[in-house]
Amino acid sequence: MLPSLLPTFIVLFQMMCVIVVFAYLITRTRYFSEVADGQFSWKNQLFLIVLFGILSIYGSESGISVLGAQINVRDLGPMVAGLVAGPLVGLISGLIGASYRITMGGFTMVPCSLATILAGLLAGIVWLLAGRKFPGIIVAVSFAVIIEGMHMGLVLLLSRPLSQAVEVVSDVAVPMIAANAAGMFIFSFIISNLEKERETQGERDRYHKELERKNAELQIARDIQTSFLPEKIPVIPRYMLAACSIPAREVGGDFYDIITFPAKKIGLIIADVSDKGVPAALFMALSRTVVRANAEWHNAARDAIQGANATISADSRSGMFVTLFFAILDQESRRLTYVNAGHNPPLLFRPGFDPIPLPATGIALGALADADYEERSVDLYPGDVLLFYTDGVTEAIDSRYSQFGEERLAELVRQNINLPPDDIIEEINRAVSAHSGETAQFDDMTLMILKVEG
Amino acid sequence: MENILRVDESHSATAAMVSLKGRMDASSSPAAETVLSRLIESGERRIVVDMSDLDYISSAGLRVLLSSLKRLRDDDGRLLLAGLKPQIQNVFEIAGFQRIFTIYSTTEEAVSSFSAPK
Repeated sequence: MLPSLLPTFIVLFQMMCVIVVFAYLITRTRYFSEVADGQFSWKNQLFLIVLFGILSIYGSESGISVLGAQINVRDLGPMVAGLVAGPLVGLISGLIGASYRITMGGFTMVPCSLATILAGLLAGIVWLLAGRKFPGIIVAVSFAVIIEGMHMGLVLLLSRPLSQAVEVVSDVAVPMIAANAAGMFIFSFIISNLEKERETQGERDRYHKELERKNAELQIARDIQTSFLPEKIPVIPRYMLAACSIPAREVGGDFYDIITFPAKKIGLIIADVSDKGVPAALFMALSRTVVRANAEWHNAARDAIQGANATISADSRSGMFVTLFFAILDQESRRLTYVNAGHNPPLLFRPGFDPIPLPATGIALGALADADYEERSVDLYPGDVLLFYTDGVTEAIDSRYSQFGEERLAELVRQNINLPPDDIIEEINRAVSAHSGETAQFDDMTLMILKVEG
Repeated sequence: MENILRVDESHSATAAMVSLKGRMDASSSPAAETVLSRLIESGERRIVVDMSDLDYISSAGLRVLLSSLKRLRDDDGRLLLAGLKPQIQNVFEIAGFQRIFTIYSTTEEAVSSFSAPK
């Protein structure tokens, strides 16, 4: 018994190998992809008709003869053709397989040929019902089982003598159904794998494109924002000035500005917008422009800030605001006149004294449209160092949320008071990075230092 | 970095109470903003923010409170703050926000101010 079955198994195994290779190759072609995407052309349809027609012929040829009837997978080609490309492709490849079957003759010729044609056509109808696409593994395999059942029914219905038809069907029905279902499973498996692969690839491509676009936009935003910071710090005789701004994200809400006024006056601005990212960056651009325009228009610092606040408040619907310190330095008299709109008090370091804070003289810009601002003055002396900063510096956290702190910042400046301002800034940046380590920071850090020379 | 800000809400006959616990910075403030916006959109006009367990507030946190205050004001609603710790009070003072917010030392006082005649 076993030796006689072995050749049958080998043939069936060969058959399955051919189907695997065929399924793999056909699904990797451009024509198959086009059809899977729903882009039909006469070219890709013809290609699939011919190939699945050939598969159907191969199905007849590779069949194993049992009592003159064959266990074969002739219906497989047209079924797959119909399930992936619709009734037309299914029908015509079925006709090709059927024509070949007719040339083989035999008493089951009519029902077998008819079954192959119907297999292709009905598969196409399933494709239509599935919404003009491949219906998936379960439907496809069930469909193959039903079609082979129908094939057997047609043999019983049309082949005569009936006794012989019954004998053939009872011998081949189970192996035929199993062989075609197995073949269909192989195809379906490869096709649905391919579909998944294409889907994830599509998603990945879309995601990549989106990411690329966002990065490009952020880069542009960053470039624009950087262009809002002074390109270089002006040289002021008998003073030293340095500044630095590090955004926590691609773009930030901090800024500083240095404005050269007539009559040897210099405007100094440091500011912090109440949010991060692109919304803050846009608000920063608005604030910076409005403050600069007002500062150039009004002579008094107080008027400039009051005017700027009215404009910014009118534009702030989301509750956004900006804390801002604006000072006008008279280079000759060394008098610093300032308005502090809710910003962390800058610290004035004077040899032999504790740091002197320059406190807030009004509310943050954008919070209250008709706010009043007070203007104050302080006289500077040689050796004085004035530190402007945003809270991103003092509130930089380590992994346990412990803040860098104002005391540490003040102490650091005191220790390095004899260094030039850019070196002091470098020391501060180094100490803050050492403090925060790998902990992600959520706030921008901006520093500006003015030193009065002898 | 999860759960650095806990936002709880409760309701009484007089007002809605939003309790903030932890740290309100740029990364955590959106959680509070979501709750406050939902309350305002659902028609709540009296909100008390309990800040007695809030340890830190950055300008991003102030922005969330300010935008809620502005939205409520536009609709004749009121937002009251209560129980600010000294360091939080200090942030409000620097920014000048103690002038635009109504601040009570306890939530009880804030809630009872709603029932008191104006």
